[in-house]
Amino acid sequence: MIVQLLGLFGRRLVVAIPILLIVSALVFVVLRVLPVDPAAMSMPPNATQAEIELKRQEMGLDRPLPEQYAIWLGRTVRGDLGASIHFRRAVSSLIAETLPATVELALLAMLIAAGLGFAGGLLLFHLRGTWRGEAADLGSTVLMSAPDFLWGLMFILAFGVLWPLLPFTGRLASSFARPVHTGFLLLDTLIEGRPDMFLDALKHMILPATALGLAFSVPIMRVLRSTLFEVEQADYIRQARLRGVSESRILLRHALKNAILPTLTLMGVQFGFLFGGTLLIEVIYSYPGLGNLMVDAVRNADLPIIQAVALAYAAVVLIINIVVDGLYLVLNPRLRSAR
Amino acid sequence: MNTSVLAAENLAVESRLREGRRLPVLAGISFTLEAGKVLGLVGESGAGKSMIGRAVAQLLPPGFAVAGGALAFAGRDLVGMATQERRALLGREIAFIPQEPLSALNPVMTIGAQFGEHLARLGISSEARQREEARAMLEAVHLPRATELLRQFPHELSGGMCQRVLIAMAFASKPKLVIADEPTTALDATIQARIIALMDEMRHAYGASLLFITHDLRLAANFCDEILVLYAGRAVEKGEARELLSAPLHPYTRCLQLAVPSLSAPARELFTLPGEMPGLTTLQTLAGCRFAPRCPNAGEICRKEEPKLLAAAQGGEAACFRTELTLKIKTGDQAAPAMPKITAPLLLVEKIQKRYRSRHGLFGKTEVLAIDEVSFALAENEFVGVVGESGSGKSTLAKLIIGLEPPSAGRIELCGSDALDRSETARRRRIETAQMVFQDPQSALNPRRRVASIVTQVLEAAAPRLPPDERKRRAAELLAEVGLSAELAARYPSQLSGGQKQRVNIARALCAAPKLLIADEIVSGLDVSVQAQLIALLRRLRSELSFALLFISHDLAVVRKLCERVLVMRHGKVVEQGNTKDVFGAPQHPYTRELLAASGG
Repeated sequence: MIVQLLGLFGRRLVVAIPILLIVSALVFVVLRVLPVDPAAMSMPPNATQAEIELKRQEMGLDRPLPEQYAIWLGRTVRGDLGASIHFRRAVSSLIAETLPATVELALLAMLIAAGLGFAGGLLLFHLRGTWRGEAADLGSTVLMSAPDFLWGLMFILAFGVLWPLLPFTGRLASSFARPVHTGFLLLDTLIEGRPDMFLDALKHMILPATALGLAFSVPIMRVLRSTLFEVEQADYIRQARLRGVSESRILLRHALKNAILPTLTLMGVQFGFLFGGTLLIEVIYSYPGLGNLMVDAVRNADLPIIQAVALAYAAVVLIINIVVDGLYLVLNPRLRSAR
Repeated sequence: MNTSVLAAENLAVESRLREGRRLPVLAGISFTLEAGKVLGLVGESGAGKSMIGRAVAQLLPPGFAVAGGALAFAGRDLVGMATQERRALLGREIAFIPQEPLSALNPVMTIGAQFGEHLARLGISSEARQREEARAMLEAVHLPRATELLRQFPHELSGGMCQRVLIAMAFASKPKLVIADEPTTALDATIQARIIALMDEMRHAYGASLLFITHDLRLAANFCDEILVLYAGRAVEKGEARELLSAPLHPYTRCLQLAVPSLSAPARELFTLPGEMPGLTTLQTLAGCRFAPRCPNAGEICRKEEPKLLAAAQGGEAACFRTELTLKIKTGDQAAPAMPKITAPLLLVEKIQKRYRSRHGLFGKTEVLAIDEVSFALAENEFVGVVGESGSGKSTLAKLIIGLEPPSAGRIELCGSDALDRSETARRRRIETAQMVFQDPQSALNPRRRVASIVTQVLEAAAPRLPPDERKRRAAELLAEVGLSAELAARYPSQLSGGQKQRVNIARALCAAPKLLIADEIVSGLDVSVQAQLIALLRRLRSELSFALLFISHDLAVVRKLCERVLVMRHGKVVEQGNTKDVFGAPQHPYTRELLAASGG
C-alpha cells in the first residue's frame, strides 16, 4: 500500500506542476491587462511623469509581457515573490505569516463540516420515514440555504455580543505573546507547552470555522444519507443481518465504511470552495489570514501580493485533493490491488 | 420426539399495498424438514420460493408480511417470536448461504475481519483463537492458503472462493438449519458442481438440515431428499425427489422437466410453455387453478375450482384435478437440423490476439492475454456455440468481432471485407452485417425509450429521413417476428418481464436484417420456461430470416440444442472445436471432458 501511495503522490505531483504554471500565467496576464499602473501607485502622488517612467523601467514593466512573466517565474521558483508595493515588505514573508492561519482555519472548518455532516447523515438515516426525519431534512435545508458570511454575522451577534461566550476578532488574546514555530497557531502553542494559549487560540477559531463549515456540512449529510440508503440494499448488508449481526453494528461497521467513500470524494471537491470562502469570513472576523491580505492587496492594486496569493490558493487546493485521493486509496481496498 | 427442524403449516405471506389492499404472495404452504434431510423448494422467479427463506429470518422485503399460518423452527414459533430472540437464532442455529457470493461479503473488510466478527458473536473473544478457528473452517471447505486468505479482500477472490468462505461461515456455528438460496446460480458450471458437493459434505459432517431453494429441478432432484414445487405462490407438488423428477404428478413440474435441454439424452424438442407466470395483480382476478391458463391439460373444472394439494395413489402430493394426464404431455424428437449450405465463409477470424495492460505500484505493469491466437470461420446461416468458464475470453471475443474493441493482432474478415477498417463507411457496413445481443436485457435497454423506438434504433443512423409511420410499421413487424404483441410497442422496458425484455433485445438486433448475430449469454439467468421459449424463437427466426449466430454460453446443453458447431475456450485459447455432436459425444481435450462432467452430461 505504501508503494501505491507513493506512486499516486508522485504521479499527481507531476501533473500539479503544469496546473500551477497555467494558473500563474493566467493570473499574470489578467493582472497586466487591468488598467492599473503599479509604478504610479508605488510613487508619492507628487511624482513627475518622468520619475514614474523611470520606476516603470526599474520594475521591468516596459518589457514585453512574456518576458515579464519569465522573469517573474524565474524569481518565484527561487522563492522570491517580490516585494509588496503597499506594505513595502517581501511578499514571501507576508504569505508565510498568513497562509498557515488560513489553512488552519479551513481545516478546522472542514473538520466541523465533516463532524456535523457525519452525525447529521447518520441521524437523517436513522430517522428515515418518520416525521422527525422530515423535520430534520427541512432543518438541514435551512442550514444550507444561509450563506457562510450570514452565519458569521449571526454568530458574532449571538455568541459575541448578546451572549458573550467566545471572542470574535483576531487569532489570540492580546495578553499572550504569540509563539512562532510553524505559523500554525494551534500547533505552535502546543509546542510551547501552553494549553491555556492553545485553548484561547481555539476559542478564537470556533466561531469563524463553524460559520464556514456549517453550509458545507449539509451536502455531506445528504450524500452520506443517500449512500447509506443505497448501501442498505446491498447483499452484504442482508447477509450480515442473516448472520444475526446487530443493527447498530451493521450501520457503523458494515454500512458506514462503504458509504464513506463517495462522501470523501465530495469533501475533496468542497474543500476548494471552502478555502475560497475563508476570504469573507476572515474579513468579518478580522482574522489575519490570506483572505485579509488578499483584500488589502486588491484594494491597493498590490500586484505581487495578488499573484502570490492566487498561486497559494491553487497550491493548497491541489495538495488537499492529492491527500484526499491518498485517503481514498487507503479506505478502498478495491483500488489497491492490480486489476 | 419431534425431529422436525423446520415446519410450515398453511403459511401465507401477503403484500400490503399503500391503499390498504392486500395481495396474497404465498398461501397454504405446508412442509416439514426433518433433521439431517434436504428439502428443495423449486420454482421459477416470482413463484415465491425465496419468500419462504426470508420468512424464516422474518426479513421480508418492505411491505411484505406473514399473513397467516405457522412457521416453526425446532418446535419454536418463528412468526410470533420477539426480534431479539430471533436474532439470537440467526447465524447460530439458522445459517444462510446467499445467491451472489461476490456481493455478499463486505468489499471494504478483509475476510478475516468478517469471519472474526462472526466468531466473536459466537462467543470466541480472543483474536488469536478467532484466527485459529477461521483457518480451521476455511480448511474444512478445502480453501488452500487459509492464513493468507484471511488477510485478503473479497474482490481478490473468485466467486467460487467467496461462496466457500460463506459456506465456512455458515457452518462455523454448527447450525441445525442451513438455508441456501440459489447458492450456485451465479457460478460457472464446473464450480457449481463442486459447491454442491461441498454443501453435501458439510451438512453431513456438521449434521445440519438444509433448505435448498433453486429454479433448477434437475439439480434439486439430485441433491434433495424431498421437493416442494411452487407456482405463483402455491405449492403445486410435493414428493420424494427422485420420484418427482422421474414421474411428475403436476403438469407444471412435467413442463419444467421437458423445458430443460439435456446433454446426453437423444435430442428432443423442448417443451415451450405458452405465456408467463401471472403477476400478483393478475392473480387476483384468476378463478380456478393458477396454472390453468398455460396448462396443456386444463379442463373445465380447472378454470372454476382451485385444486388442493392432495396425496396421490402412487405417493407424493399434487394440486391438480387431472394428474392422470400429466405424463401424457410429451415432446417430439427433434427434427435433424437441415445442414446449412456452406458457401463462402461469412466471418473469418485469423490468429487474433487481445492484450490488456494493467498498472500497479509505481512502475509495475503486467499484460494479460485475454485472447490468444484464436482462429475460426463461420458460414452463412450457421449456428456456432462458444463455451467456456467465465474469464475464458468468450465475451472479449464477441467484442473484438463486433468491433467494440480492436484486437492487438490478427485479422477479422466479415463478408469478405476487412472488419478492422476503422473508417466510418466500413463501420456503417459492419453494423448492417453484424449485430450483437447483450447478456443483461435490463441494462441493455434504455429505460427512457419506448419499445418501438428501441427496436428500430438502428434506423436512426441508417435511414435518418424515414417517415415516423414507416418506422412504426417496422417496429410492429419486428415485435411480431419475436412473438410479442403489438401493444407492447408503446411501453417502456421497466414495464416488461425478463423474457419480454430479451425478446425486445433480439428484435432490435434483427432490425437491420443482419447476416451475423452475436449473442452473449442471452438465455442465462432466465427461467427455464423462458429459456425454452427463446431457444424455440431463435430456431424459428433462423428458418424465416436466415442469419448466422455466434452463441456464447456457459450452458453446454443449450449449445447442444441450438448449434451445429462449437468452440471450447479456455484461458483465451480455443482448445477444441468441431461439430457439436462430435465434441460433446467424444471430447478430445481434457478440459472439454471436465466441462461436460460438471454439467452433468
